[in-house]
Amino acid sequence: MKRGLALYASAAYAFLHLPLLILGVFSFNSARFTLWQGFSLTWYRAAFQDPQLAEAAWNSIVIAVAATVFSTIIGTLCAYGLWKRDAKWLSGSLYLSLVTPEVVMGISLLAFFQWIFRYLHVQLGMYTVILAHVAFSISYVVIVVLARLRTFDVSLEEAAMDLGATEWGAFREVTLPVLAPGIAAAALLAFTTSFDDYVITSMVAGVDSETLPMVIYAMARRGANPVVNSISTLIVVALGLLIVGSERLQKR
Amino acid sequence: MNRRTLFLMGLAGAAGCSRARERRLNVFNWSSYVAADTIPNFEREFGVHVRYAVYESNEEMFARVMTGNSGWDVVFPTNYFIEPMREMGLLAELDHGLLRNLDQLDVLFRRPSWDPDLRWSIPYMWNATGIAYNKDAGPAPLSWRDLWDERMAGHLTMLDDPVDVFGACLKKLGCSYFSSNPDELRKAQAEAVAQKRLVRAYVNAEVRDQLISGDVLVAQMWSTNAQQAIDATPKVAFAYPSEGYPLYPDCSVILRESPRRQIAHQFIDYLLRPKVAAAIVETARTATANGGARAFLPDSLRANPVIFPPAAIMSRGEWPLPQPPAIQRLRDRLWTEVKSS
Amino acid sequence: MNGLRRRFLAPAALVMGLLFLTPLVIILVYSLLMRGTYGGVSSEWTIENYTRLADPLYLIILLRTFGMAGAATLGCVVFGFPLALFISRAGARKNLYLQLVILPFWTSFLVRTYAWMFLLRDTGLINSALKALGIIHEPLPLLYNNAAVFVGLVYGYLPFVVLPLYATLERLDKTLLEASADLGAKPGETLIRVVIPLCSSGLRAAALLVFIPCLGAYLTPDLLGGSKTVMVGNLIQNQFTTARDWPFGSAVSLVLMAIVMLMLMVIIRRGGKELI
Repeated sequence: MKRGLALYASAAYAFLHLPLLILGVFSFNSARFTLWQGFSLTWYRAAFQDPQLAEAAWNSIVIAVAATVFSTIIGTLCAYGLWKRDAKWLSGSLYLSLVTPEVVMGISLLAFFQWIFRYLHVQLGMYTVILAHVAFSISYVVIVVLARLRTFDVSLEEAAMDLGATEWGAFREVTLPVLAPGIAAAALLAFTTSFDDYVITSMVAGVDSETLPMVIYAMARRGANPVVNSISTLIVVALGLLIVGSERLQKR
Repeated sequence: MNRRTLFLMGLAGAAGCSRARERRLNVFNWSSYVAADTIPNFEREFGVHVRYAVYESNEEMFARVMTGNSGWDVVFPTNYFIEPMREMGLLAELDHGLLRNLDQLDVLFRRPSWDPDLRWSIPYMWNATGIAYNKDAGPAPLSWRDLWDERMAGHLTMLDDPVDVFGACLKKLGCSYFSSNPDELRKAQAEAVAQKRLVRAYVNAEVRDQLISGDVLVAQMWSTNAQQAIDATPKVAFAYPSEGYPLYPDCSVILRESPRRQIAHQFIDYLLRPKVAAAIVETARTATANGGARAFLPDSLRANPVIFPPAAIMSRGEWPLPQPPAIQRLRDRLWTEVKSS
Repeated sequence: MNGLRRRFLAPAALVMGLLFLTPLVIILVYSLLMRGTYGGVSSEWTIENYTRLADPLYLIILLRTFGMAGAATLGCVVFGFPLALFISRAGARKNLYLQLVILPFWTSFLVRTYAWMFLLRDTGLINSALKALGIIHEPLPLLYNNAAVFVGLVYGYLPFVVLPLYATLERLDKTLLEASADLGAKPGETLIRVVIPLCSSGLRAAALLVFIPCLGAYLTPDLLGGSKTVMVGNLIQNQFTTARDWPFGSAVSLVLMAIVMLMLMVIIRRGGKELI
């Protein structure tokens, strides 16, 4: 049975990894369609020379960084507050947002923004996307940090306060450093989900806020455009490096 | 205040100023509907930075524009969308004083039935819907009826457009392509549902690549995309169905929300230049509402029966009729039901 | 103590209140209004949007969604369990194997879905390879059907099943397995009659982490299913884009939310709070 399991496992791993590997390999294909016709960087060159792509990539990064910063800070503080004592409504809505389908979050945010826009003369733009991303990232951050907090010994904080520290001081000097790897993991999660988001972003993006996933989606639907392969590979490699890199940092 | 701070402030100021002084225009158009140099030439000549994005269907455009704060300045609805848009207060009235090339319009389009004074829209390009097919795939489908044939299964696509899908059904039933009769529409919907299992996908311009590669053998297509496919491979041909077919004029409009009306007018005026229109025809393979452009077209295009059908075929064509709001609502609901079934 | 805590919770409360709960209230109101003539919302009240859902057309969509989500969950569990078993018995390399499962999940979901489009389309790798080998002459219709959506969903959510199952298997008391062997059971029998029943909490977590997200799936059926596999997520999206029927879309969204919350309560009540 052990050998059978090992055989099965290799098949399963192949299933999990081959599609992306194949995509990566074929991103270097010089032919337009799938038959391999030689190694080439044409599609990468095309990707880098496309100004629309460059703008979309930049937008994605700006949005992801902004959303990560806000959601990590707000989420960490919230997790700490909830750890001390639960707040039913808040934790309830956080968990609810976890199971809410992305489509529903996207359309409800669109309806919300458009309703507000009746009274203010503004439009959808980068800021609506950032707000939307913060909205769905916060619950992820809270879950991760809360899990980390649950392994933390609250008596350490109490000891610090007995020794004269303020509550805020105890949090900053004692709890936060221990939490740091958890916060980093939460930030990473927030960043990758924000960078990759298509459904919610497409509903609330404005004229100037096209993101990389939106471009990829349009290209994927439009048919055989090999540039998608190279963009996809770049994204996978970039995110992969980010994750491996951060894990290395966390191990220290 | 050291030098570096001053420098950075200067940079920021320059950047801010250049942003503000930069003239912009946001244009939302059908895909494959301009020539490669149309937008760059406009940007260069008028010193404007154009954000140009494309859509595949009127519905897609309208969904974005409907809220009245989409951020777009110029869009290109097909003529039957202009009245609804005007009614919803989405359109800005055009200033003919800023449109000096208006007389370049073809006589046919100078007083169109949907906008006789051209107060809201300027005709841009027009094309028809017909059947594009692979010549090697059996007998040519020359009428809408043929699209319900069993041999089509899995290799047929229809347009992702309620007007065109219901129109084909209505023609098959012998009614007008743009019927407003609820009974006829319901029967048409039944036909569409019956056809659905033969249909590979509901898709617009994107099917062109699949037709070229042979994945799709028969497609309900707009004549411009069909001609683009024919250019790519001689295997593809286009038929104007025997029962009748629609003729669609697409028009440029300026949205009321636009804060850049003057530049928008300049852009529309630019599109009315005969040479610009001719270049678009050559690339997009579409017929143009610009009479002056014909002089600049090569003979092969001027005589192309797919782009400019001869009079005998033109007589079978129907220009869109306006739909009363209640019927429009019915059509929208019937379409949702077809797509969901 | 309270003041600081309130300040810590306030920003999150503001975000959730304004950007999550308020939007839900708004679509609740919209779901009770009529559609505007050409789209959007008007100011007339109606419950028609909900009664419209009783139409068999839409009930079929709901059923299809349930079926697809159920199939995907089953597929993930069936294919994921042996993998989790393998990792739990892998000895020193456990962590590495686990990482290899998690790694694809971290990269873009959109890219991973597109990768399957690339493989399955008529001019894609699988068809081109089979054609080149002479096995087929016409491309196989691998894309734009239920099977493609099933594969895409299983591919996307498999890691979510492997992890909790692995965790449960790890916590398994090895002495129980020894006892079973001592009593004469073959390895297969032990597996079926001892291990799997003890994994029920892991299986429940798997159901939670796969079934519920699959109910609301949008990208996978959209890209891999074409217009043929309309799931609830696609229906909702369509109402807010080309169909421009915001009230109906809102009603469907709220019904979906209700179903999701119902499923959640069922699963949690059976499995207890350990899942959270």
